[in-house]
Amino acid sequence: MNALPLLFYVAAGIAYAIHFARRQPAAGRLATTLLLAGALVHTFVIGMQTMEVRHVPFANPSRAISTFVWLLSLSYLYLELTTDERAMGVFILPMAIALQVIPTLDPGVERMDPLLDSPWFWIHTSSLLFAYASFALAGVLGLTYVLQFKEIKKKQLGYFYTRLPSLQVLDVMNSRAVTVGWLFMTAGVIVGIIWATQARAAAPDSARLQAFSFGDPKIFVAVLTWAVYSFAVVARRAMGWHGRKAAWVSAVGFAIVLLNFLPINYFVTTSHSFGN
Amino acid sequence: MHLFLLGVSHRTAPVELRERLDFSSRDLGSAVEALAARRAAAESVVLSTCNRSEMYVAADDIARANDELVAFLSEFHGVPPATFVPHLFARQDAEAVQHLFRVAAGLDSLVVGEPQILGQVKEAYSTASERRSAGPLLNKLFHTSFAVGKRVRTETGIGEGAVSVSFAAVQLARKIFGKLEGRRVLVIGAGEMGKLTAQHLRSQGVGEIVITSRTLARAQELAAGVGGTAAPWSELMNVLAPADIVITATGSQVPILGRTQIESVMGRARRDPLFIIDIAIPRDVDPAAGDIEQVFLYNVDDLQAIVQENLSRRAAEIDRAEAIVSEEVGKFLAWQRSRGAIPTVVALRQRFDAIRRAELQRLDNKLSGLPPEARARVDEITRLIMEKLLLEPTEQLKMLPDEETQVQYTEAVNRLFGLRAEDSLDYVRGKAAGKRD
Repeated sequence: MNALPLLFYVAAGIAYAIHFARRQPAAGRLATTLLLAGALVHTFVIGMQTMEVRHVPFANPSRAISTFVWLLSLSYLYLELTTDERAMGVFILPMAIALQVIPTLDPGVERMDPLLDSPWFWIHTSSLLFAYASFALAGVLGLTYVLQFKEIKKKQLGYFYTRLPSLQVLDVMNSRAVTVGWLFMTAGVIVGIIWATQARAAAPDSARLQAFSFGDPKIFVAVLTWAVYSFAVVARRAMGWHGRKAAWVSAVGFAIVLLNFLPINYFVTTSHSFGN
Repeated sequence: MHLFLLGVSHRTAPVELRERLDFSSRDLGSAVEALAARRAAAESVVLSTCNRSEMYVAADDIARANDELVAFLSEFHGVPPATFVPHLFARQDAEAVQHLFRVAAGLDSLVVGEPQILGQVKEAYSTASERRSAGPLLNKLFHTSFAVGKRVRTETGIGEGAVSVSFAAVQLARKIFGKLEGRRVLVIGAGEMGKLTAQHLRSQGVGEIVITSRTLARAQELAAGVGGTAAPWSELMNVLAPADIVITATGSQVPILGRTQIESVMGRARRDPLFIIDIAIPRDVDPAAGDIEQVFLYNVDDLQAIVQENLSRRAAEIDRAEAIVSEEVGKFLAWQRSRGAIPTVVALRQRFDAIRRAELQRLDNKLSGLPPEARARVDEITRLIMEKLLLEPTEQLKMLPDEETQVQYTEAVNRLFGLRAEDSLDYVRGKAAGKRD
C-alpha cells in the first residue's frame, strides 16, 4: 500500500516523458490520469496514517517528505488543469519520484511526541510544506524559463522552444507560485516562532526547546530561505526583477529548500528532530 | 465497388496545364453536378487547389470510369485530351486511399505540412456532399482523411515551425509574449515587409499598431492599410517606450536605433520584454542592443535561418507521418473489406429470417390457442435464437483478412445455406440507390 503512490508516480512520469519527447496528446492525457490516480491513492495512504496517529503525519522527516510530495502533485495538477499546459510534468515528476522513494523505503509511522500535541503544529508544518511545494513549482518554472530564454536569446530555437509554454506564461506562473509560497512560508514561520516561545515558557528546562535559535541549522536555513523569497517578491515589484533574474532567484531558493529538507532534516538539526 | 482517382498535381503537370484544368477558379459545385450527371461512377468528389485537380470516384468498372473522367475533364474545361492525358496520374483502391491521406496530411504539398490543404479537402467533400454525389464509401474515405490530417499534425512536427520570414517573426512573438492580444506594435519604416509582418500580427489580435516613417504621408498610408495609427518621425522615442514588438524596415544606410537608445526605454518601470524584428538591409538596429537583458533582437538573416531550420525539421518528420498514413490506410481497407461482407451477412440474415417466419406460419394453428402475449413471446424467442446463431458468423465474415479469402468464404456460405449471390448484391445496390433519391 505504501509503495502504491510511488508506482503511480513512476508510471505518470514515464507517460509525461513520452508526451514531452514525442508530443502525443494521448500520452499527455494518460499522464494526467495516472498522476490524478497517484494523488488519490496518496491521499488515501496519508488519510490512513492520519487515523493511525490521530494527526496529519509529518512529524518525522520521511512522513513530511511524503506529505510534501502529495502537496506537490496536487499543486502541479492544479497548475496543469488551470493552464492546460502539460510540459512541466516531465520536470516535476522526477523530483516527486526521487523524494517519494524515501518514505517508501522508510514506511514506519512516527510515534506521537507529546510536544507536538498542539494545533500550532498542524498549522506550522502544513503551511511550510505547502510553501515548499509552491517553491518547487516556481523552481521548475524558473528552470524552464531559463532554458527557453537561452534558446530564444541565442537564436537557436531547439528542443525546449518547441515544447514549452511562452516565456510570458512561465514568468506569470513563476510569480504566482513564489507569491503564494512566500505568503504560506511567512505564516508558517510566524506560527513557529509563537509556538516555540509558548512551549519554552511552559517547559523551561527542555534541552530541545533551548535549541530553538538561529544557531540551529534548520532554523537558520529556513530564515535564509524566507529572506531569499522575500527578496524575490520585493525585487519583482520594486526593482524590475522579472523574467530571467526572477527565474534564477526561484531556482536558487528551491535549491536551499531542498538542502534544508534532506540533509539538514535527517542529520544536522537538533531542534526539529521528532519521531525518529 | 472500387475506389478510383484520376487527376493532375504539381508533381505531374506544369502550372500552365494545371491552370487550364483548375476547377476552383470556376464553379466547383457545377463541376461536381456535371460529373454526377454523366453517371460515370456511383460516387464522386472533386478536389481542386492551385496545385492539384483530382477526381475521386467509387465505381464498379474502373476502365469505364477512367474514360468517362477523361471525357469529362476535356469537355468541362474545353481542353483536348491529348494535351493533358500524358500528365494524368491514376490510383486505385489502396493507392487511392493512401494518396488522399497523404494529401490531407500535407505530405504531397509543395511546402510539406502546410495547413491550408486540409481545409481545401474538407471544402471539396462538403461541396460534393451537399450535392449528394458522395455516397457511403467516399463519405467514410473523406471523413477518415480529415482525421488522418489532424492526427499527423498533432503527433508529428510536420506542420510545425514557420516557413516564411514574417510568420517566423509572429511565432517568435507568441513564444515570448504568449497571447498577443493587447500587445503594442511599433513599425518603423513603411516598406512592404514591415506591412506584411504587421498584417500577420494584426490577424493575431495585437492591441495597437503605430507606424512611423520619415515621410508622414507614407506612414499614414500604411496605417490605413493595417488598421493602425501614424506617428511623426520626431516622436520615435516616445512611441518606442511603450512598444512590446518593434519592426524596423527603413531604407536608412545607418542604424537608426543604437544600444543606448534602447537601454533608455528598458527602465525599471518596464515589466515586459522588448522584441525587435529588424528586417531592414542594411540593419536599422545596432546588434549590440541584443545584449540588453529582456531584449530579443532578430534580423532578417536570423529569421531566414529559422525558416531553413524549420523546413529541414519538417522533412525529418516525414517518415513518422508516412507511418501514420500507412497505419490509417490499413484501418480503412479493413473497414472496406468488412463492408464487402455486408451483402453476404444480409442475405444470410434474410434466409434465416425467412425460415423462421415460415415455421411460425406453419405452426400458426397450433399456436392460435395461446394468448397474444405468449405468441409475442414465441416470436421474440425465435428471433433471439436466430440472432445468437448469426452473431459469430457475422463477426467472422467482417474480419476476413483479404479479398481472396472473402470470395472463398462468400461462396462457401452461399453454398452451405443455399443463398443466391445476386440477391444480396441487388439488395445492397438498391439500398445505396434508395439513399441517394
